[in-house]
Amino acid sequence: MSPLRHLDARLRGAERVLVTGASTPIGERLVRQLLQDSRVEHVLAVLHEDPTTFPVRPDERLEVVQVDLSRQRRLHGLLFGPAKRLGITTAVHLAMHRSAHARGSRVHAINVDALRNMLAFCERHPTIRRFVLRSAAEVYQVGNDLPDLITEDHPLNMSGRAPQWVQDRVEADVSACTRMGLSRLEIVVLRMTEALAPGTGSQLHDWLQSSVCLRPAGFDPMVNVLTIDDTVTALQRAVHAQAQGVFNVPGADSLPLSACIRSWGRVGLPVPGAVLAPAYRWRRRLRGTDFRYGMNRFRFHYSGILDGTRAREVLGYVPSNPVEWPAKG
Amino acid sequence: MPFPPSVARGLAGMLLDEERLARLDALHFYDAGHGYDAFGMHPDFVKLGEGLAGPLYEKYFRVKSYGAEVIPSTGSAILAANHSGNIPIDGMMIWNDVIRNTEPPRVVRAIADNFVPALPFVGTLFTRSGAVGGSRGNVRALLQKGELLLIFPEGTPGILKPWAKRYQLQKFRVGHAELAIRFGCPVIPVGVVGAEEQLPQLTTSRRLGKAMGVGELPIPLVPVPLPVRYHILYGEPIPLHEEHSPEEADDPEVVKAAASRVRDAVQALVDKGLKARKGVFR
Repeated sequence: MSPLRHLDARLRGAERVLVTGASTPIGERLVRQLLQDSRVEHVLAVLHEDPTTFPVRPDERLEVVQVDLSRQRRLHGLLFGPAKRLGITTAVHLAMHRSAHARGSRVHAINVDALRNMLAFCERHPTIRRFVLRSAAEVYQVGNDLPDLITEDHPLNMSGRAPQWVQDRVEADVSACTRMGLSRLEIVVLRMTEALAPGTGSQLHDWLQSSVCLRPAGFDPMVNVLTIDDTVTALQRAVHAQAQGVFNVPGADSLPLSACIRSWGRVGLPVPGAVLAPAYRWRRRLRGTDFRYGMNRFRFHYSGILDGTRAREVLGYVPSNPVEWPAKG
Repeated sequence: MPFPPSVARGLAGMLLDEERLARLDALHFYDAGHGYDAFGMHPDFVKLGEGLAGPLYEKYFRVKSYGAEVIPSTGSAILAANHSGNIPIDGMMIWNDVIRNTEPPRVVRAIADNFVPALPFVGTLFTRSGAVGGSRGNVRALLQKGELLLIFPEGTPGILKPWAKRYQLQKFRVGHAELAIRFGCPVIPVGVVGAEEQLPQLTTSRRLGKAMGVGELPIPLVPVPLPVRYHILYGEPIPLHEEHSPEEADDPEVVKAAASRVRDAVQALVDKGLKARKGVFR
């Protein structure tokens, strides 16, 4: 693609979007949504898996590539190969390891190093001007002495005792934030509440798969959950917006943990907090589930709801797709 | 809570008559989507709280309220009250008094100490009835939503003061004055008389308090609060927001002077209440 054609696309307000982590439920839905968006001229879907397994119907506006993002050379090849050829204007980075138990340098390479490299390459890329990172609400600290309503300036969870899942997300988030304004690349960090859906890495969803959900006795904090539809809406708005910065992305459902259990049609069993970690450790050993109590301990005690005022005012994002609860509480 | 809102509503139905239940249906409330507000308050639990606290308010402490008409029916305001009595019954009585004396009824959001959300059951009960942890972000969010706040500027030193210091206001923290100036709302001074004598203090224990997660624990002279009569007096709103620009909230001298003014107003109400009452139990 010639630079003039690319300039022409920009002037028309058209976007050419690269999506990493496209094989995840959120990535796949985003790709479908972008293909229905008349303002998007082309989508480059990047997967870790075999492209023939990608379920989105072939489209002349869609190109699917398989790239291991943790390999710097291959990432470079992606951005200065297909992405440059297609005149990609915006990169949406969704690729993160989803398992709460995964750890080690390989996981860190996917979660953090890949992001750092992408940012470095995008900053000197001839056509990419915008970078959107899907971060997570788990980067924030939750505690009895902290606000229940979390704004973007809320303290981050920098604890060295936090699981790698959290540490990596905080590191990735901060890495993106520290590069804002240092180059012409517009960086948007969306700190999203977890999407209560399978395959998204949602701890709450995994927790709710048990018929009896154990929770700390005497505590019933407010939680907020997002749907894949609203997640995709927020990402799409970030692609088209002009602003950069950090934005909280809450979902339409704010409810206490006990109501969450009831609405999901489960039985909640309050037990002493000390019992929960070993109980869920055993559950994981026996059933191979992903829920990790240690990672959720604070939010199972204290409320932490994202305040989406900034996203509403700047991106025009309003959560409008509530969760379809299997059993209304 | 161990039970859903429907159970709370059922229990409230047993404790309150139809008229009071219907009145509470008009409660001022921001629903965050599932019947709870973003901080976890639920109208049915407010009704239950009213049903449970009602007999204490009417029969046990026989609360007399003066000047509640100064509380605005809409918009944010900060009620700044003296704090006493070793356990926060004064907060419960003011909470109840505001619900009863506002039309439509308003729930005053009591700003609790940071240890309160960490208390099992108690923290949740407080949350469901409108109390919030005392972090700056919470207070800011509530004021921006136009809520009515209850702040005890003396904090823990006020509620835990010994018998010999009763009705002597402790040092006022200045946060309430700063917030009122910054977010443009009036401060309504509140004087509470009666609470000081409800649970005379023998001593306090840091060790026990630490074990229970409350910092310092009062050891009372009597096992249950005495049936003192409460007098709650509301003073004229102090329009700090009209006298100062929001930028002045960053001026320590202005904020200190404003807090001092609120303290004087509260002390005057306490003195007035003490002078007017006929006895501790009357």
